[in-house]
Amino acid sequence: MDEYISFEQIPFGSDNFADNPEPRCPCVLLLDTSGSMGGMPIMQLNEGVRTFRQELLADPIATKRVEVAVVTFGPVTIETDFHTVPNFHPRELETTGDTPMGEAIATGIELITKRKKEYKESGIAYYKPWIILITDGAPTDEWAAAAQMVQKGEANKSFAFFAIGVEDANMDILKQISVRAPLKLKGLMFREFFIWLSASMKMVSAKEPGNAINLLPPSGWSEL
Amino acid sequence: MTWKAIGQSVAGTSHIAAAKGCEDAVRYEVFSHPHGYDVLACCISDGAGSATHAAIASAFTVTKAMEYIQHFIAHGEELTEAHIYALAEDIYHGLAEEAAANELPISEYSCTIAACILTPDRSAFMQIGDGAIVRDDGNDGYNIVWWPQTGEYHNTTYFITDNSSLGDLHVMVTDTPVNEIALFTDGLQLLALNMEASSVHQPFFKDLFRYLRQADNSDKIAVLDHKLAEYLDSPRINERTDDDKTLFMATRLPA
Repeated sequence: MDEYISFEQIPFGSDNFADNPEPRCPCVLLLDTSGSMGGMPIMQLNEGVRTFRQELLADPIATKRVEVAVVTFGPVTIETDFHTVPNFHPRELETTGDTPMGEAIATGIELITKRKKEYKESGIAYYKPWIILITDGAPTDEWAAAAQMVQKGEANKSFAFFAIGVEDANMDILKQISVRAPLKLKGLMFREFFIWLSASMKMVSAKEPGNAINLLPPSGWSEL
Repeated sequence: MTWKAIGQSVAGTSHIAAAKGCEDAVRYEVFSHPHGYDVLACCISDGAGSATHAAIASAFTVTKAMEYIQHFIAHGEELTEAHIYALAEDIYHGLAEEAAANELPISEYSCTIAACILTPDRSAFMQIGDGAIVRDDGNDGYNIVWWPQTGEYHNTTYFITDNSSLGDLHVMVTDTPVNEIALFTDGLQLLALNMEASSVHQPFFKDLFRYLRQADNSDKIAVLDHKLAEYLDSPRINERTDDDKTLFMATRLPA
């Protein structure tokens, strides 16, 4: 009997786990900072990006897994290359210039291709990357090639591309660029949009087998 | 008793949060072959998170596997590679029938499978999808049978339901007997395998098998089986994975 009790008390288990890096969930924000975004829109967008960070930080798994990169246009600038959320410190964005959307999309796709290569070289597992385009206008550069890159990337399951139109955005052109139906932001509800985006990213970064991207319904912030 | 075995499937924290329950399943048994030897069989399955009938599919898969194995052993047949293919086909058709009866596409029953059948002088393994089988056959520590089959992305893998020709099925039958074996689903992959080195994390298995070897009666094995469920649901595991997790372990008694 004594022996039985001592066996009950053995510390079964192991704390010696393999030291693997967390799988990563990359997300690129392509943000329109052209002149027309001046005033209230850019203020609300900045607030939205800050909210995005805070919401992700509140989730322990998303904090370790989600990586954010920011590209602004125009001119096209890589504001921040991929960083996990605790190391992602968004700068206050200002508006300048026109809307080189085609170049911004190509830059975003290039960032993802480069990041995937780095993951592979370091043996880091990763989830399907997301590209989020937010614009209030229409491209001022050549965008047909970028639209083709988006279509090819979606067909090859290289990434998921989402387009969000603000105010007077040219939704017809966004429809030609994005395979997924572009969504129109209600008013300047950037904050609500980024809360939705962070919640969707949390769902993706939590482990679920299967191919489908399970988006939350875009309720509250989009015009239907 | 020629084998000591424990095995548990435990729901992950993300499944509990989504009120989904555990979609992993495990079944194992030691069968007495009419020719006078013991056969250890185990099957584990991980139901796809995207499939509506994932929990039913994984439970069906492991139950069907055990029925098939019991059946051919009861008929006094010796284990061959043909048995493994027939077993996989049997499960595929069973899942297809379940889906048809409920007027659903078979993808709603998507699940992975990993199984072993071990006789004193022959070892058979099969696998479709992620998770892994790790064995000690006296050949320099614990070795993985197949690296987990994943797609480009961390959350994509292959399922027994993917195609009727079972193109993703891995089968191995060898004449090398196994001393110790572990089967686990992908919820434990990042803890039990070194991804960069593509190798088994030896200390994890050494720690766990040490206690199983010490258990020298069925009461103690039952204690360990209970402790295994507690361990799989402990904060130290849940801090590292939010997925369902299954671990089966067996050690052969010294002859």
